[in-house]
Amino acid sequence: MKRLSWFLLPFILFLGLSVFLFKGLFSDPTERESEVLAEPFPAFKLPDLMDESIIYDNRIFDGEITLINVWGVWCITCAIELPYLTELSQQGIRFVGLYYDQDIDPDFGTKTINRVRSEVRETLGRYGNPFEFNIFDVYRDTALDLGVTGAPETFLVDRNGVIRVHHLGDVNPRVWAAKFQPVLDELQGQVEEG
Amino acid sequence: MMRYRTNLPFAMRFILSCLAFWALLAISAIFADSAIAQQATNENAEENTPDITAQGSEFQVVDKPASFIEGYAENYAFTDPKDRKTFLKLTEELRCPKCQNQNIADSDAPIAHDMRRKVYQLMREGKDESEVISWMKQRYGDFVHYQPPVNAATVWLWLVPILFAFAMLFMFIKRRKQVDDSDVEARLARAEELLKEE
Repeated sequence: MKRLSWFLLPFILFLGLSVFLFKGLFSDPTERESEVLAEPFPAFKLPDLMDESIIYDNRIFDGEITLINVWGVWCITCAIELPYLTELSQQGIRFVGLYYDQDIDPDFGTKTINRVRSEVRETLGRYGNPFEFNIFDVYRDTALDLGVTGAPETFLVDRNGVIRVHHLGDVNPRVWAAKFQPVLDELQGQVEEG
Repeated sequence: MMRYRTNLPFAMRFILSCLAFWALLAISAIFADSAIAQQATNENAEENTPDITAQGSEFQVVDKPASFIEGYAENYAFTDPKDRKTFLKLTEELRCPKCQNQNIADSDAPIAHDMRRKVYQLMREGKDESEVISWMKQRYGDFVHYQPPVNAATVWLWLVPILFAFAMLFMFIKRRKQVDDSDVEARLARAEELLKEE
């Protein structure tokens, strides 16, 4: 009996280690827990991308479930997800763009705001425009506050302005069904009950 | 058997010294966090430093290059060499969340540019080293700093080797006793057999 346990102990340890390492093979090292989940959307006061006389703040979330899509014309993946986002917006989902330009590149650095606007119009005209409006994150401070690491990233914000989903990368039907739809159903269910 | 027994005190001494060394490391790691907090604060946050963001209610964005953000050319100027050192230290200690395993001083990802600019901006606002780190941690998690805090999850990295060493020590002691007993008995039995044969 004792001999058996001496044999079993290393064997169980080995099995445990194998399972641990095997799981590691399929883990995504870029996956991290978002720090903004279940937190209120960071306070901001930013102009409209197309008309800087319009200033938005956190009141845009009042009473409506909103999807904030962080994007830019320089971002290829953003262009790829635009048609699907447009499809979703036609189903009644409210999308608001958080636009930021990548002006750190010398090529982009010479860009004027008028050129940015014409490029945005062209991109949205070509791939579809899901956005009710676009917020221009002028200094990219709001993107940093949101813990954005790159475009595209999408946030689901509830009626109280609290972030419920933070998704890195493109939104496609698979991601939508797995990550966004359940939360959306839950939020819409709450209102019907209340 | 004899050799095994003479080696035992050495093994014990070895394990004990390893333990002591490890305990020193663990203690230093646990106190490192508080040491960072105690570091000299930046007293040179004068109000006469211009606000580089000029962030107000007005956005003068029309017909200006999109790169009108000052300080963007990565020429971060400091009047105090101490601040410069702090800036270099911070950008080396903070980890780029996009291109992992690179610090933000090393990385050329857009986010690293933004984070360097933010570190500079926060320092100009008078924030000290630990405040800048906690600002980043608040947004990007513990991941963003190369010195992970000792918490419920990471404390095991320090404790498991200690526990393992104790387990080994325990096993050595237990085994020595067993070996001693059986050894004596076996020898006695063998001696008796030899006697009988004679």
